[in-house]
Amino acid sequence: MEKLIEILEEIQPNADYKNCDRLIDDEILDSFAILSIIGEIEDEFGVSVTPAEIVPENFNSAEAIWKMIEKLKEVC
Amino acid sequence: MSLISMEFLLFVLTAVTGYYLIPKKYQWIWLLVFSYIYYASAGVRLVFFLVYTTVTAYAAGRLMERVEEKQKKKRVLVGCLLLNFGMLSVLKYTDFVIDNLNKIFHMNLSFWTMILPLGISFYIFQAMGYILDVYWGRCKAERNLFRFALFVSFFPQILQGPIGRYHRLSEQLYEEHAFHLRQIQYGLQLMLWGFFKKLVLADRAAVLVNQVSANYMEYTGVTVLAAVLMYSVQLYMDFSGGMNVVEGVAELFGIELDRNFKRPYFAVSITDFWHRWHITLGTWMKDYVFYPVSLSKWMGRFGKWSKAVFGKKTGRLIPISLANVIVFLLVGVWHGAAWKYIVYGLYNGLLIAAGSLLAPVYQKEKKRFHISDGSKGWRLWQISRTFILVNISWYFDIAPDLAGAFQMMKNTLTDFRFSVLRDGSLLAMGLDRLDYIILFLGCTIVFIVSVLQERGVKIRETVGRKPMVLRWLLYGLLVFGTPMFGHVMTTAGGFIYAQF
Repeated sequence: MEKLIEILEEIQPNADYKNCDRLIDDEILDSFAILSIIGEIEDEFGVSVTPAEIVPENFNSAEAIWKMIEKLKEVC
Repeated sequence: MSLISMEFLLFVLTAVTGYYLIPKKYQWIWLLVFSYIYYASAGVRLVFFLVYTTVTAYAAGRLMERVEEKQKKKRVLVGCLLLNFGMLSVLKYTDFVIDNLNKIFHMNLSFWTMILPLGISFYIFQAMGYILDVYWGRCKAERNLFRFALFVSFFPQILQGPIGRYHRLSEQLYEEHAFHLRQIQYGLQLMLWGFFKKLVLADRAAVLVNQVSANYMEYTGVTVLAAVLMYSVQLYMDFSGGMNVVEGVAELFGIELDRNFKRPYFAVSITDFWHRWHITLGTWMKDYVFYPVSLSKWMGRFGKWSKAVFGKKTGRLIPISLANVIVFLLVGVWHGAAWKYIVYGLYNGLLIAAGSLLAPVYQKEKKRFHISDGSKGWRLWQISRTFILVNISWYFDIAPDLAGAFQMMKNTLTDFRFSVLRDGSLLAMGLDRLDYIILFLGCTIVFIVSVLQERGVKIRETVGRKPMVLRWLLYGLLVFGTPMFGHVMTTAGGFIYAQF
């Protein structure tokens, strides 16, 4: 999780990733940021994200992104 | 049946009255019948295309749910996409291809000159979005063909959007709706606001725009610039006014459509502009083209190469920017079969890509000059800069073709004299002094409303809390003022986006 927060802060600084749960709804992460995050997640955690996973529920908070990674790891 | 006609108002009145009188479980069937009557009123033959998309998308959805194997599912998806986008391409782009073949290879192929079925780009996009959602498991396939037919054909939105999403729209279409007076009031208010924007402002501004675009070789400098600025008014009032009417009609049935506009001329960048302008097309392209293209295998390989060559940060953004340019190329093509639209798309795509790639440079420079993102002056500069960039893109819309667009740009910089504003030239182009005053006052009203909305004020609720006399005075002004000050003679009922 810490590594994930590190990635998020590097790509889109100035957001409270530990508490915010409206990253998509409040337009803190735009489509460029989402794809940059996915690129880093794939390299760092060895998972493969498909377009089907890009829904607000999976990206609205750092915790939701982490849960998605865990789920994708199981599939791998 | 134009949205701006007495027939349409009577049609809506009949549909709404019956909707709340019949047993609620039949409401969706009632809507379906009225949707097909509405579409058939434009031409019974056109219904074939609507049925074609409905049946192919419905069948593909059902088939995908029955098929277990991923590859087979993919084949069904690709088949459905090809059948529909193939048909759209043939109808929309055949003449464009023939024209280019004739020019390049000096051939003499004859044109098809087919009439494009109304709203075809909108309902095909809506149906194909559904199919992709079913494929990705975001929603379940609809089992009832007639319910699905309503999702594709819901009459207020079929001609010019907004492009609806199945998970948000379908439930509202199929559920039972009780009569609520406030809903009817809100719907009517929104329709009235839309009519005001379209009839009083868009159609009036169109007079000057049409005059200059039809005779663009004759005009230079300030006159061309005035026409482009006027087009900013025309296009926004036309499209967003049309959307207000459509949203208002849907609200009469208790249905809330996706928003297509969020005060676009307050955008601080081109990216922000596309988050505020034709939102449902932008989000459709993002979800169904931008993400799949960016996450495709070949783009992944390109991304690895780009990171190795340009470093982690820039290398990561290059493939995303490329996918973005591809998306905007498609947005351009979606707007029409002409080179000017392709360049329009490329222009927007390249600006967004450049903005993203150069973001670190901007940040550095902002720090160096102690510019704060929150400062009003900086925000005003960003809004003005974006407005200018957007207006440059309108040249491609106004001009009859690509060469005409560049010629108009050149003409703007030629013989640039502000005396044109005083010597009466602008009064000899179809609009008189009163027209300009009405345009100015009308735009000021829309501007004030937009500023209030931008600050979070909910206009209809605020108006609703005012004393009754004041409220009815306002409604009266809109009801009687719109036809009185509307440029009805030149309207002919057409909306710009209905042709796409």
